Amino acid sequence: MRRGSPVTAAYSWLVYVFLYAPIAILVVFSFNRGKQTAVWEGWTLDWYRSLAKNDLILGSVRNSLIVGAVATVVATAFGTLAALALGRYEFRGKGATRNLLYLPIIIPEIVVGAALVTFFGVLSLHLSIWTVALAHVVFSVSYVAIVVRARLSGFDRSLEEAALDLGARPVQTFWRVTLPLILPGVVAGALLVFTISIDDYVITSFVAGVGATTLPLQIYSMLKVGVTPEVNAVSTLLLLVTIVMIVIAQRLQQPPAEGLRD
Amino acid sequence: MRRRLGGRPALAVLLAAAASLAGCGGPGDEPLSAGPGEKKLNLYIWSEYLPQDVIQEFTRRTGIAVRYDLYDSNEPVLEKLQSGVADYDLVVPSDYMVRILIHLKLLRPLERARLKNFGNLDPRFLDREFDPKNAYSLPYVWGTTGYGYNRLKSGRAQDSWAPLFDPANEGQILMLDDMRECFAAALKFQGHSLNSTDPGELRQAADLLKKQKPLVKTYNSGDYENILAAGDVTYAHGYNGQLARIALRDPRRFAFVLPKEGATIWMDSVCIPSRARNLDSIYAFLDYIQEPEVNARIVNAVSYASANVPARKFIRPEILNDPAIFPSDEALKKCEFLEDIGEATSILDEYWTEIKSF
Repeated sequence: MRRGSPVTAAYSWLVYVFLYAPIAILVVFSFNRGKQTAVWEGWTLDWYRSLAKNDLILGSVRNSLIVGAVATVVATAFGTLAALALGRYEFRGKGATRNLLYLPIIIPEIVVGAALVTFFGVLSLHLSIWTVALAHVVFSVSYVAIVVRARLSGFDRSLEEAALDLGARPVQTFWRVTLPLILPGVVAGALLVFTISIDDYVITSFVAGVGATTLPLQIYSMLKVGVTPEVNAVSTLLLLVTIVMIVIAQRLQQPPAEGLRD
Repeated sequence: MRRRLGGRPALAVLLAAAASLAGCGGPGDEPLSAGPGEKKLNLYIWSEYLPQDVIQEFTRRTGIAVRYDLYDSNEPVLEKLQSGVADYDLVVPSDYMVRILIHLKLLRPLERARLKNFGNLDPRFLDREFDPKNAYSLPYVWGTTGYGYNRLKSGRAQDSWAPLFDPANEGQILMLDDMRECFAAALKFQGHSLNSTDPGELRQAADLLKKQKPLVKTYNSGDYENILAAGDVTYAHGYNGQLARIALRDPRRFAFVLPKEGATIWMDSVCIPSRARNLDSIYAFLDYIQEPEVNARIVNAVSYASANVPARKFIRPEILNDPAIFPSDEALKKCEFLEDIGEATSILDEYWTEIKSF
């Protein structure tokens, strides 16, 4: 491995500091004794204790996790199926379908939010936590489809043909050959959906109904009276959960790939 | 406690147009014929406006389960009610938003006979221009727009709008990023009504604001109190609630001024959306929050003034006697609500664009 110049190394470090310093500060200040979010006054776990008693924040975390989980499962399933259809088959309107799939990513969120709330109105679908989950599925399917399609583009179809030749039924082929091969793409898509869902504010603020306040809505509504370090505490915990999830996802992705190489 | 987000009102109005074009419910619909409804209540209210123990006691007493969601600007209320599919039973919009909601037929008229505690309300806050005769809204809390200042840096006690227009304070002034509020400050300073529609007076006010612009460090309606608290400016134009809170925390350094020339008074009111269904629960709650002791508990917790007269006995003296929260009658007489000024709005719009863009 060739070593880069010290200037390049320093530059890279600066980029990392720029990216991660705010997160580090957020974590450190969740242990700050003072109520101010900018002045250090000593270590404490008080904010984690008061967080455990704050029904409003905890309720919003629960809502965010429910929405995130539903959106992830549904959007990953549909997004993967869409990617397979677009990657495998020729059908009428394929080009249009492909382009339509990109649309939710290109359209400004505020327009998607406004459109969805009008749409729910037309359907007389009452706003609740389920309309939030539905809205998140709408904009997440595209991300999954794009990520999985990228994975499919380097896919060696002869592996599937071999499985079919050896007597596997199409369904067996899908579960035992196709899915394990595209799994990294599917998992990456799912993680992306969960991340986007957890921090979406604009669309959620349009479609949230009674009892559907998610964590970003909750934090935003607290801005008025000052964000307490409880928010730092809850963010730190979420960060921890996310990191654990990513580590698990990476572990899960390895065995099938190695198994195939054997 | 109000806050206006720049882009949202226009968008919300657009949405209304789209919704009515699409022929979907909501605006224009007759109120549903609502029966007593269920023993539950869905509230949509400003954050930090209703302490949790007050809600819990209501549930204990009546068996009515309360669910509530919070907002931090008026526009989401408009958006939710316009959707026609949000199941809120009570909302708490600010004065100008009440006017819009009434105009769009999104509120349900109040049945005065069912409001047992209506008599507790201070007539000074009833029958205002945005809702004559209180057909749709009941005062919840009210406040004023003035400015907060850093006592150490200012060097002397203030009582007038003057320092906000004083060239000596260049770079030390923060103004609300709000057209009507900035014009209100200028008009009052010049001795006019803040609802003036006189072209000459408006011209003068615009000239003053243009002269003031080079002195202003920033126009901000979001976290002005933090900018003042951080010491980045000496004078911060803003609503009394947030500024009073800074002053209560550190009275040696900060104070709120309700200028002697007069200022804006604002009020957030409780209203029933036209599609609300749980009417029995709604009226039980409306009575409950106007009980003197309950109302005082709300005021004590949120540090905003209410319009409930008998509640004053139970309000903590440091809140009741804080002129930033409960101004004197005399000071209040010089304050005005921001009214709909009709055609003059477009004149202000033009001036404001000029002021903000030169």
